[in-house]
Amino acid sequence: MDQRPGDFDQYWQQTLDALATYPACPEIDVLPLRSTDFATLYSVRLTSLGPYRLFGYLSIPTGAGPFPTIYYAPKYQSVLEIIPQGTANLQRSRYITFALAGRGQRNADTPYAAMFPGLLTDGIDQAVSYLFRGIVADSVRGLQFLLTRRELDPGRVVVVGNDMALITAALQPGTTHVVTAPTLFYNTAELAPRTPAYPLEEVNDYLRAFPDRAEAVRRTLAYYDLRAFAPRLNATTLLMAGAPGTLLDAPTMEPLVTALQGQVTVYAVEQSSYKDGLYVEQWMAAQCGITDVHNILPEHWR
Amino acid sequence: MPKTVPVDYQSTVKKPDDFDAFWDGVQQQAAAVPLEPEMIPDPLRTSAEVEVFQVFYTSIEHVRIAAWYCRPTHRVGRLPAVLLLPGYQADPPIPKEWALKGYGALSVAPRGKLRSNRQFNPGYPNLLTYNIVDRHTYAYRGFYVDAWRGIDFLLARPEVDPTRLGVTGSSQGGGLTITTAAMRPEIRAAAAGAPYLCGFMDAIALTHTYPYEEINDFLRAHPDSRHAVEATVAYFDGINFADKITCPIIVNIGLQDNVCPPETGYALFNQIRATDKQLYTYDGHGHDAGRSKHNAIVDRFFAQHLLSER
Repeated sequence: MDQRPGDFDQYWQQTLDALATYPACPEIDVLPLRSTDFATLYSVRLTSLGPYRLFGYLSIPTGAGPFPTIYYAPKYQSVLEIIPQGTANLQRSRYITFALAGRGQRNADTPYAAMFPGLLTDGIDQAVSYLFRGIVADSVRGLQFLLTRRELDPGRVVVVGNDMALITAALQPGTTHVVTAPTLFYNTAELAPRTPAYPLEEVNDYLRAFPDRAEAVRRTLAYYDLRAFAPRLNATTLLMAGAPGTLLDAPTMEPLVTALQGQVTVYAVEQSSYKDGLYVEQWMAAQCGITDVHNILPEHWR
Repeated sequence: MPKTVPVDYQSTVKKPDDFDAFWDGVQQQAAAVPLEPEMIPDPLRTSAEVEVFQVFYTSIEHVRIAAWYCRPTHRVGRLPAVLLLPGYQADPPIPKEWALKGYGALSVAPRGKLRSNRQFNPGYPNLLTYNIVDRHTYAYRGFYVDAWRGIDFLLARPEVDPTRLGVTGSSQGGGLTITTAAMRPEIRAAAAGAPYLCGFMDAIALTHTYPYEEINDFLRAHPDSRHAVEATVAYFDGINFADKITCPIIVNIGLQDNVCPPETGYALFNQIRATDKQLYTYDGHGHDAGRSKHNAIVDRFFAQHLLSER
């Protein structure tokens, strides 16, 4: 297991302090093409650490509010979706949704255009300049912006995503619920050699090319390991574990579950986007007091 | 319980009278453009077992297309090869696992995808509706050709056996598998998962999820364009390509698919002309279309049709 660095808290406090030196300077514009009678969509531009200008899609339901909110933290993919592919558009009628492109993703790819694969190991041999330090800051900045919206119900703020969801909620107060599907930063130095699949294969590629940097990579990854963030997370959490026997299954992530401070539900995925997606939609709705989730599900799930 | 999906669902799409003439013209225009293939070793991604290359070739309108090419390091004789086509939101993967199974594998990024977006970048979302009122400039005109040209790249490789070519993909990759298998007679086997780009106008009524929702957004903003949109997408609908497919083909769909309605999967499959065709339906599955179970079937299918020497 990667050891929690002695200066873990200092590393992240310095990151947050550096982020705080840059005002967000939000620039918000209506996108009529994607607006409906039940929700208005906005493009949002924000400044993050660097300084670096980010892009996001903010959807606000029609009506008085306040509304529960879903924050889709930056993903490991080049494109930015308004809401995840396959989600009923009517989700936007009940929730504020905000999807953020971290630096390198489409619409936030100037001046840095990330490669996929390539993002996970960009600068990984130096913790201070590792690319993901900026992406974590981006994700925190997105949540900070979202929390300023007057339409938001502060008692119902869900952060959804891969590892970024958990890390963001751990670093920035204000999240009530987290849905996280760890992919990148759980015991990575140990687990990557056990899979040929990307994104972790990036680490294997990198270490095959630069074997002398193995210790430096391990040191960097230790600052990002979810187990080190877990004691900071008080939100109610849905942890999406891999199917039994897969790399990130529930038994493998038991140390993470134990370390989390808030209430945790562990869901082992059934490798069915229908069953797994339905579970998440129903869990979020139940947590947010939405009693008729049936009406905002995709047609083929009803 | 989710509703039952009718297996005899009839799509509303009609094949335009000049469908073949339209695509003949496109192919003639494409054929006039030299492929100019470029294959650059990628030592960072290469291992002892698999050689990885960044590939570039030129497609219609002289758009430069990127791809990943993998082949087994240790080869005996010529290789069967598989063309891999990407989903709508997916970044084309490096297909190392196919090389480990003994194939040459080309994973294409058609125009607008990452690494192929310098000359054409409609944005995301937006590809599905980019110039959707004009079949001559609609985004998928070039996008389809970019995929088909991947076959030309494989045919140009000396280590590839031109008589053992396959094509596969899921979602948008499934739709592209249909159109590629239809338009490239060199293909010996095709496996399409959760095919997108089939039954466009049916899909936008059957579901309200992205990416098909892009068309509903467009029609809400441009209600007078419905006829033009219907006219355009009829030229690009996989259902209208299906009667050109003669190679062995398997198709898999999820009966709770929230992205590509299963009704359109049935409508497509019923139109495929090949006699050696098989539909796999997965109840309890969405847009994954039973991938966790179906992958082994795809492996056996390609092994049967491509791995054994002819």
